[in-house]
Amino acid sequence: MIDVQHLTKVYGTFKAVDAFSVHVAPGEVVGLIGPNGAGKTSTLRCIVGIQAPSAGRITVGGRDIVADAVEAKRRLAFMADEPQLFEYLTVMEHLRLTGRLYRVTNVESRARTLLDELQLTGKEHALPAELSRGMKQKVAIACGLLHEPAAMLFDEPLTGLDPLGIRHMKETIVSRGRNGAAIIVSSHLLHLVEEICTRIVIIDHGRKIADGTLAELKALPGLAAAGSSLEQIFLTATAREP
Amino acid sequence: MLGTFLYLTRCTIKNRVRRRLQRLREPRYLVGLVVGLAYMYLMVFRRSGRPRPGGGGLAVMSQFAAPAEFVGSVLLLAAAALAWLWPAAGAPLAFSRAEVQFFFQAPVTRRELVHYKLLRSQLGILFGSAIATIVMRPSTMSGGWTLLVGLWLLLMTVRLHLMGVALTRRSLVEYGRSALARHWAPLAVVLGGLGLLASTVIGDWSTLAALPDASGVFHELQRLGTTGAAAIVLWPFRALVRVPLSMSTAEFLAALPAALALLALNYAWVIRADAAFEEASAEHAEQRAQERRSPRPIARGAMAAPFRLAPAGPPETAILWKNLILVGRYLSLRTLLRLLPILVVFGIIAQSGAGRGISAFLATLCLPLAGMAVLLGPQMMRNDLRQDLSNLAMLKTWPVRGAALIRGEVLAPVAVVTAAAWLFILTAAVLFGALPLTDRTAGAIMANRVSYTLAALAVAPALILSQTVVQNALAVLFPAWVVSAGSRARGIDAMGQRLLMLAGNLLALALSVLPAAVVAGVVAFGVYTVTGAVPILVPAVILAAVVAAECWVATELLGRVLDRTDVTAIEPVE
Repeated sequence: MIDVQHLTKVYGTFKAVDAFSVHVAPGEVVGLIGPNGAGKTSTLRCIVGIQAPSAGRITVGGRDIVADAVEAKRRLAFMADEPQLFEYLTVMEHLRLTGRLYRVTNVESRARTLLDELQLTGKEHALPAELSRGMKQKVAIACGLLHEPAAMLFDEPLTGLDPLGIRHMKETIVSRGRNGAAIIVSSHLLHLVEEICTRIVIIDHGRKIADGTLAELKALPGLAAAGSSLEQIFLTATAREP
Repeated sequence: MLGTFLYLTRCTIKNRVRRRLQRLREPRYLVGLVVGLAYMYLMVFRRSGRPRPGGGGLAVMSQFAAPAEFVGSVLLLAAAALAWLWPAAGAPLAFSRAEVQFFFQAPVTRRELVHYKLLRSQLGILFGSAIATIVMRPSTMSGGWTLLVGLWLLLMTVRLHLMGVALTRRSLVEYGRSALARHWAPLAVVLGGLGLLASTVIGDWSTLAALPDASGVFHELQRLGTTGAAAIVLWPFRALVRVPLSMSTAEFLAALPAALALLALNYAWVIRADAAFEEASAEHAEQRAQERRSPRPIARGAMAAPFRLAPAGPPETAILWKNLILVGRYLSLRTLLRLLPILVVFGIIAQSGAGRGISAFLATLCLPLAGMAVLLGPQMMRNDLRQDLSNLAMLKTWPVRGAALIRGEVLAPVAVVTAAAWLFILTAAVLFGALPLTDRTAGAIMANRVSYTLAALAVAPALILSQTVVQNALAVLFPAWVVSAGSRARGIDAMGQRLLMLAGNLLALALSVLPAAVVAGVVAFGVYTVTGAVPILVPAVILAAVVAAECWVATELLGRVLDRTDVTAIEPVE
């Protein structure tokens, strides 16, 4: 569903992403982890079409994100780490706007379901200024899920959520994956990645340095001695721990 | 997709109006609205409602229609040329972060995004055209409509053209030589047009140089601009300016087709642009949001400290040091020192007797600039507690008395504004010294030029200090009214708030200067009684000293208030 081939992103002389490739099949939840500045956000922004790749090819559902951007984006949703909402649009108006952008026919009923699922019922007419950080995050996620995308990208999805919200968010991601969506979750919360992801990709200095299930990562040469937890594997792989 | 964008615009306007009405429950907004409306009524509507002999601004303008058309067309040409030669910083199309998040990842084409930006720009363009029409006061209803439509056409075409330039430039950056091949036509037109104008002026240089006055030069330039090749270059700009300057419906209808054709041409050019602006726009949106969040300019690199901070000493110095580093992000001492050679060069020109015209011009320019620095500088330079209000919770954790904190905060803007005022005063003093004066009063003043200059140098920092302390006092006493750099208060109520703050500032300045002026006057009278000479410098120094003492006392009192201030009581402006 999401296919990234030799993606390279260069800012001036700095290579943020270097020949990065990954394939995410329907139903897979891939955890993208890496130290700060490793190139995670640049990768996600290239996949979603906000940034243009310097080299390489990205397809979503077989549609090229550069050459056939509109069709590729129709299948995609990106939930950014910091929710950006329109200052003077209510929660419900955000959902209606998204519905029109993605041509969702049954917006009202889909919106009600999502508001219930994300515990936003009662906040339909609230403006962003009246919402907490966590609630804004939920509104952005509701907007992302409204058109039932086949591919989803989550950048730090748990930021600002309360414990109950965290649990619901994890359930939301896992259930979408079970229903056949191809999902990439970028996070520094390694326990979250370990818990909900079916596969893990480690990126450092823009390059992919490991890719596989937790068991496969543990078996990789050089990482076998790292230990059993993802944290130990990650620190060894990125050479943050001798 | 147009319907979707209209939905967004409609909801935004509806919710914004509702929110503005809701906030009127707070006295600060209600009072601000009343003052703002009163100001609007007095300054715009009452003025425009009053009958004026001659039929209003347009009728007055009709006497100067031809020169106005020429000047307008040259200004438009200059704006277009500048857009090509000196591009604005940032992205070709500015989007907010929400727009980036919702539209850039949605199945929306680039062309639809351009249409969205054009749609959103209509609000500002229509509002600007309407206000200009009210101010211009056309004498008839049809004159009002033709002016409104003409201004809209003009502003919309300019907007489209600037958008086209930005997109073409982006495309050139992106695709290099292949883009040059695609965009050669507009580039060639611009360069060719500028070349033709330059060659026309150069060809007529001997005539222009022989003309005795500016009026003659203007008329000759106007003649050049309306004949030959230059007239062809300026035609599109004249065609645009002609519409709002139309004096009758017939003139308007005659001018309309050409202006509409230009609008259509620019629209087609923008729509056909193939620049991938998303990345630059997204980056620009992030940058703007960061600048808005941070009350101070975003550092583009490490800045040099203004001086070496000693490990021990008064806390005021440390706060001054901190604020000067932040000033340095947009204005450094080095920048000010760079002005020094210019001052020296002009001083030499003035002393040598050559170029007296420039000297007189600069000297007369420097005096109002010095006045502006003294009176407006403290309001513009907000690098003090007004900007640090958002950091008050952190500042209050410092083991520093409130009075010391306020004194430290006011020092940086006082230092910078004083430096600017001194520069203008000194420049004016140097340049005026070389001018031959025939007026007797002016001659008397020039005889004591050094004394007056020193007096001005002494009084200027005192007045700046006094106003800066007043501004910071308002921040301490009425924090909710102070607009910090991070907030974006808009609307009539916000305008009323600012007017009230300005009035309070002027009143406080008058009250602080009055006792100092009385003391200085008494001393000056005493000196005059004893010596028979009118002192200039002594009362100025005394005035400055008394104002400085008043400011010291004021900061002590304000410090006590600041020490008691509950940071949670400070609400954001909006």
